[in-house]
Parts: sequence; C-alpha cells; structure tokens
Amino acid sequence: MRNVGIIGIGYTPVFVSKRKDVSIVEMISEAVDAGLKNTGLAPEDIDAYVFGNMATFEGVNMPHLWATEHMHARGKPIMRFATGGTIGMAAFHGAYYHVASGMADIAMAVTYEKHSEGDAQVGLMGIITPELMAMLSAGIDVTGQSGMGAIGGGSAGGISFQASSYLHRSGAGIEHIDAIAAMERRNAAKNPYAHLKDPEATAEKIAQTPMVSWPIRFGHICPTTDGATVCILASEEKAAKIADKVAWVLGVANCASDATTANLIDSQITDPAEQLPAIMASKKACERAGIEDPKKEIDYVEIYNGFAHQTLMYLEKVGMCEVGEAHKLLEAGELEMNGRCPVNASGGVVSTNSIGTSALNRVTECALQIMGQAGEHQVEKEVHKAMAHGWGGLMQYCTITILGDKPKKL
Amino acid sequence: MEETKVVTGAWELSTFKFNIEGRGLQLMLKHMKDRKLMGIKCHQCGTVYLPGPFYCRKCHIRIDEPAEVSDHGQVMTFTIGYADVRGNPLDEPRIAPIVKLDGCDSWIMGVMQGCAPEDVHVGMRVKVHWAEETTGSLQDMQYFVPE
Amino acid sequence: MEKKVAIAGFRIAAAPDLETTRERLVFDLSKGLLDDLGITRDAVDNFVFCSNDFMDGRTISHVFIGPAAGGYMKDQTKVEMDGLNAMIYASMGIISGQYDVTMVVALSLTGSQASPYLYTDYSLDPTYDRQLKLLNELSAAALEARSYLTAGGYPEELLDVVAAQDLKNAAANPGQARRIDGVSRERIKGSPYYYEPLRELHCYPPTDGGCAMLLVSEKKAKELTDKPVWLLGMGRSTDIYYLGDRDLSTSLSAAQAAERAYAMAGIKDPASELDLAEIMSLFAHQEPLLAEAMGLLEKGKAAAAYEAGDTAVEGRMPINPSGGPLGAHPICATGLIRAAEAARQLRGEAGENQVKKAGVALAHGQDGVCAQQSAVVILGT
Repeated sequence: MRNVGIIGIGYTPVFVSKRKDVSIVEMISEAVDAGLKNTGLAPEDIDAYVFGNMATFEGVNMPHLWATEHMHARGKPIMRFATGGTIGMAAFHGAYYHVASGMADIAMAVTYEKHSEGDAQVGLMGIITPELMAMLSAGIDVTGQSGMGAIGGGSAGGISFQASSYLHRSGAGIEHIDAIAAMERRNAAKNPYAHLKDPEATAEKIAQTPMVSWPIRFGHICPTTDGATVCILASEEKAAKIADKVAWVLGVANCASDATTANLIDSQITDPAEQLPAIMASKKACERAGIEDPKKEIDYVEIYNGFAHQTLMYLEKVGMCEVGEAHKLLEAGELEMNGRCPVNASGGVVSTNSIGTSALNRVTECALQIMGQAGEHQVEKEVHKAMAHGWGGLMQYCTITILGDKPKKL
Repeated sequence: MEETKVVTGAWELSTFKFNIEGRGLQLMLKHMKDRKLMGIKCHQCGTVYLPGPFYCRKCHIRIDEPAEVSDHGQVMTFTIGYADVRGNPLDEPRIAPIVKLDGCDSWIMGVMQGCAPEDVHVGMRVKVHWAEETTGSLQDMQYFVPE
Repeated sequence: MEKKVAIAGFRIAAAPDLETTRERLVFDLSKGLLDDLGITRDAVDNFVFCSNDFMDGRTISHVFIGPAAGGYMKDQTKVEMDGLNAMIYASMGIISGQYDVTMVVALSLTGSQASPYLYTDYSLDPTYDRQLKLLNELSAAALEARSYLTAGGYPEELLDVVAAQDLKNAAANPGQARRIDGVSRERIKGSPYYYEPLRELHCYPPTDGGCAMLLVSEKKAKELTDKPVWLLGMGRSTDIYYLGDRDLSTSLSAAQAAERAYAMAGIKDPASELDLAEIMSLFAHQEPLLAEAMGLLEKGKAAAAYEAGDTAVEGRMPINPSGGPLGAHPICATGLIRAAEAARQLRGEAGENQVKKAGVALAHGQDGVCAQQSAVVILGT
C-alpha cells in the first residue's frame, strides 16, 4: 500500500437548479478545467480518469464515452462506476486504488449530475422497476390505496420509514430535524458552491414547510441540482512535487447489507434506521486509518444527508457520538461551525444535491477543511482528521473515507 | 446568460421484460386463500422470510422450508403520506406501516386503517384485516388494523 | 509484473435465454464458484459487480444482486463497463494490499429480457447522434468494417472466413450460446445482411449470461488452487467519442491498451511471445482489426494468416479458441469471459479447443461504439 493524497479539487462555477447555458459535457469540462487550473497540471499529467454519475437520471448511458474529449481523456484509461447515491465516493475510492496500486501516479475522479435534463424521481422509481411491473401485471394498484403507494413517494417515501424509525429509537423529535436542516441551510449560505442558501434559516421557518410523508417535511429534503466536481489524487512522491497542501487518504471502506424498504416480491430483513453498513464501514475505515476512537480523533465530519434527519442518525452510526446523543449535541450548538463536533459546514446534501457529485463533495469538503481552504465556511477548530460519509442504493449501502493532514506511517 | 437549445429524449422502459422470483410469492398466495401467511425458513440460521426468497441472504444457501407466520405483529416503523410521487397532495393522509409479523424476521409493508394518524406509533400491535372473500391474491390481505 | 494477483476459479453461463432472474443467475454463478473451491462467502472480503442499469431496466441494479453473490455486509462496488475493467479494478484492490480475496461478477440478461442494441442507443450523444437516428451499434460496426476492409485491401469474404473459424470453435465449446453444427463459410455468406457488409452470422447473438471470477492474492492462491493463473500485465485506453474524428480502420484504444499491458508484462514481441488471444470482437471484422492493432497479426496480412490457419486452435497465433463473442455476448460479462476462457486454456481445461502449448495469453475487452474503450490483460501460468 502506498500513500495517496488529494492535491486538487475542481467545481463547476455554480451549483443551481438549471444550468441552461451549458450541455452535460460542457458542464463536465468546466469542473475538469477548474481542477487542472487549481493544481497547475496539464491534461497530459493525468494518468487515469475515474467517472461517476447516475446514468438513468438523465437517460444517457455510459456518459463518460461522450465526455471523453471534454475531459481531455483521449488515449487515457477511464473507469466508470455506478453505485447510486454513493457514486461520488465509489469513484473517489476507484481513483484511490488506481494510485494506491501503482497503476497511476495521478488520477482524476470526475462526477456530475444534470438533474434539469432528466427525471430523478423516475430514476429512483427505476430501482424497483421489476417489482412495480410485476405488481402492475398482478393487478395491484401501486400508487393508490395499497401500501405500496408509499414507495410511490420516490426516495422520500422510503426514507420516511427510516426517519420515523430513527426518531423512535433515538428519542429525537421532528423539531430536531427542523433545526439541523436550518443549520445546514445557514452553512450553505457561506459556501459559494451550495445550492439552497438561507442565512436567516431557523427551525421555525423549516417547520412551516408542508409535510410530505411523515415525519419528512419539504424543508428536510434535498433539492435537485446541476453541477460537476472533480478531485485529483496523487502518489506521495508526485504530491510532494505538485502541491503545497495535501489532504491524505488514511482509510477507505464501504459495506452493503440487504435492500431495506420492504416490498412484496423480495422480503427484507433490515431496519432502515439500523444502518449496520454505516457502522461496519466506519469501523473498517477507522481500522485502516489507525483510528481507535473517532469521537476523540476525528475533528470534522461530512455526512451524506439527502434528508435532514440523516445528519443526526449517521453521526451516531459512524461513531461520532452515542446513539440518542446527536440531537443533544445539536441542541448544545456543538454541531455548528464553531462547535466541538462540526458537521456539514458545506451545507450538506440537503442544501446541494447533484447526485453524482454528492458523495464526492463530502470528501472534497473534508479536504478543503484540512487544507484550510474552505473560506467563509472554514470551521473554527483546527482540522487534522476528517471523515466523509456516503449512502446510496436502497438505504443499504454506505461508504466512508477518512482524510488527514499527514500521510499515514507505512 | 446565453441559453442552450433543448432536445427531448425518453427512456422506454416498456422494451424490457423481467423474470421475477415467483416461488416464495406463489407459496404465500396459495395459503392466503385460507387466511394463512406462509413464508420460508432458512434451515441453517432459522431466519424466516415472508414472502420467501430462494436463498438466505445471511448464509448464502438455497432454502425451501415452509414456515407459517402469524397475521398479528408489531409496527416497526411507519409513515403518513400527504403527497403522491409528483408532489400532488392526497385527498386524505395515508398511514403506511412496516410490520414485523410474529414468527417472521422480514418486514412487510402495508396500509393501516381504523386508526387516526396521530395515534399510530412504533411498537404498536396490529393484525391483518382479511377480505370477506379470499381468492388467493395479495388483495386478500387488505390492510392492517390495531389489535 | 510480479505475481501478485491470481485467478483462483471462475464460472461462466451463457444462452439465448437462461430462463432465470438476475438474482438467481448471480447466486448460481457465485455459489457454484465458491463450492468449486470448497469455501464459503466468509472467505471473500470484497465484491466487484459489473452490470448496466439500462440493460437491467433498473436504477442501481447491483442492490439486489449483492446479497445473491454472498456480499451481505461486505465491501461492494460496481464498475459499469465491460467486465474486464471490473477484473482490473478488483486486481488493483489486491495489488494495493487492501484485499486478499475478491469476487467479480458480471452479467446481463439482454438476450431474453431486453434488446441488446438499446445499450448502445442510449450511449449515443443525445443531442445529435440519437436525434439523427442513423447511428446505432450495427450501422457503426458496418462503417468500421468497410473502413477496415478498404484500408487492408481485404475482400468482403474475410468476414466469412473469420466468422467460420469462430463459430466452428464455438460449436465445440459447451459454454457458448450460439453453437451451430457443421457451420460453413457458405452458410455464413447465406445469412441476411444487417448492414452491408455485415451479415447476421458476422454479428454477435443476443445473449443471456454472466461470469463470476475469484481473484486472490499470492498468499491465498497457494491455499485455494493448484492451478493459479497469474495476472502479468494490464492496460486500458480510450479513443474519442465521435466516429468522424477516429481512424476506423484500426483501433487506437486497443493498440494503446495492449502496449501498456505488454510493457507491464515485459512482452517485447507479442506475436511470438503470446500463445493465444481471447479478443472481444463483437463483429467478425473486429477480430483481425483488433489483432492487428494489438500487434498479434501483421498489418495487411490478416487474410493470409486466417487462410493459412495461423489463427486456428492449432495455429501459430490462436485467436478466440473459445469461439469468442460471435458465440455469446452477454453485455458487461463478455470481456471477463475472455479472461476466464484464456485462464481455462492456461489451465489446460479447454477440451476439444485446447491450444497445445498455452503458457501466456491475452484477453481483451471493449466498451462503446467501435471499441471506443479497450482493456487488455496478460495472463500466465
């Protein structure tokens, strides 16, 4: 195993609902060129590309093929990953193993989503297409009075089961979900690459948004965003030559259980709020990073929270606090940018969700905090080690990346 | 801002046909006519699934031992739907619990009636309300009601 | 490259219609493979899947096949390309020292459950090529075939010669989906044109299928198998998307991928050092085209080599002794199957199609229209 570090990041100039001024491939090239500019690298310096997005959301299969020249990747290897919400981090892990194995010295992870050109709800419904087809053919009403209609809520429908289970098991209330959502929208206001920004957001304001599927309110849900992100990784030797500041990869892991939202074709055995994969992935990543107690050793966390309750839930699952403690940390102000356990200073996924990028942005935001380059949303405490989290699939799959300001001792 | 031109495209799902795992579901449907819920048990670890899959997720072995499951159970989690998939408001809120039936390890989703939205809670005991006339279809199990 | 990664075993399934579900196919392949090796899922620490959401008609399609492969509560990821890339990615995890035993599973049920050509249709530039409705996988391949035949000065009959050799080998391989007894050049020439010069029997058949492969570290190889097949080199490359910007008479991606794999394996003269090649040629012309690009056949001399029997099982440079993708093309699995078939040869288990002295083999996989992307691995005993 050799050391790998993040030497540069590239974002599209904005993350917004509709990028009407660029095509998909032009938007990708904006982020790629930003990444090259930020590191001072030329396209020839990139040995390998790793690509990720959810192709079914825009209806473009294998978009890396179309985007090859827009990434300056002619003559280069490109590897494409697709794992749902975690895709950004799956691509990051892909780039990491390219460099860790010595197959590349410098690798670029490229991710994007252009939601305005597709239909994420249809894409999400597509997860259960065979089951829906089977139920339809059996004469079962999938959107009406049958319980299956709950799946008809797209991701929000399935997630609400997770949220209510979490509330019951943690002792938190909806008011805590309102409060964490408000905190993140306020944080987003300080991040130039965030989508939904509200410097004046309060729990009371979020509480006034309509209930979509109890206990999920409109204000707890992520937007659909257009945007692209790249992340450039290098071997220790190359990084020393290229970059002044490096965020080192200390450990990566992922874990998948059983698909969670029950349906009638394939019975499921997992509580959507149990999240064993998050617990396991965090444990494995910490082990690989040489971290014994994340509570003490991790200074900053980015949680993939398409829905606001997930910030609290996953903080507990990844080991940043005890079960039932996250909402108390929130009440005490410890999760804020000046708190003892700052989380999602970027505004999180609940403020910006171009799905392909979302799990990668968790990593890049941790890297910015470690490099001290987060600007207005730099947290108050010094960040030496940070943890990025991603979830995807049917709430059964989690990925973790741990970064540090010093390379691992080999 | 100079705007781009829009061209349209569709993803035609209708061109697919899917084989689905039917055995466990068929077993369940067959017994529903008698108002019984029949799942499949893993002979190695004892996990009971309803409807039964062809293999045990935990043991990674084929399974086929029928196991009857109670039509009473416990609400493990629930939601109350206010909008459909497009965000359009529903006429009235819809309670959708996920229930762990007694004697079963997998969870089953359904709708709940005979209970006000504010009264439903995790841990609540419920039972299946069967159709007046059962036909061996999923509709036989109409909804859950409080025990 | 040092011997760091070995193929411990594999299972292949292919048929026009396997009459199965994706979950059951994955279960049967992976469970069967674990049984072959006398181990359970407990011994596997990483899973790399390879399928395509469009082909599966399902978003995040690996969600349901993870547990079926034995991946419950394990590390998992999905490479959405040809399966040879999944094998390469799995190898990276082992070379880096993170994993010891990785299960790679690639599959699609495109033969019976979806149109295989959708895969390419939805991969086209949606703003231009898809709107024009002129370009598809077959028409693009026909353009490529014409460019290749013209540039090499080859007669159209070369396609019949190549297809006849492949289909003869496929008929003798029980693992193939399209097996035609007594197939002849005349029969091939008599099959209808799809897009001139490509006829039905010059093109891959719609196929259901998959492949599971267990990759292991050097340490585990000793425990698990008496016949390890070692990964000696790997390389990949990508050409530009637009056909008009490419030289369709050859393959930049295959040439570069092979060059990188040879460099890693220390191969100077592939035509003499390699004992066989399994090439992902989806259409008859692609086999000599890719073989030339990868330095296995001399440029412009492919027709003579085929006529002389050089590329046959008993020839000097056997190409696709398994029958190749003209016998079966389960999208996403085909390149991985090439590696598995090469491993079968290296283990001396290829039966009727066994190449005599099989010590070093090449496997090739591709993605995109006219092999926009290629992956190459070099395997040895």
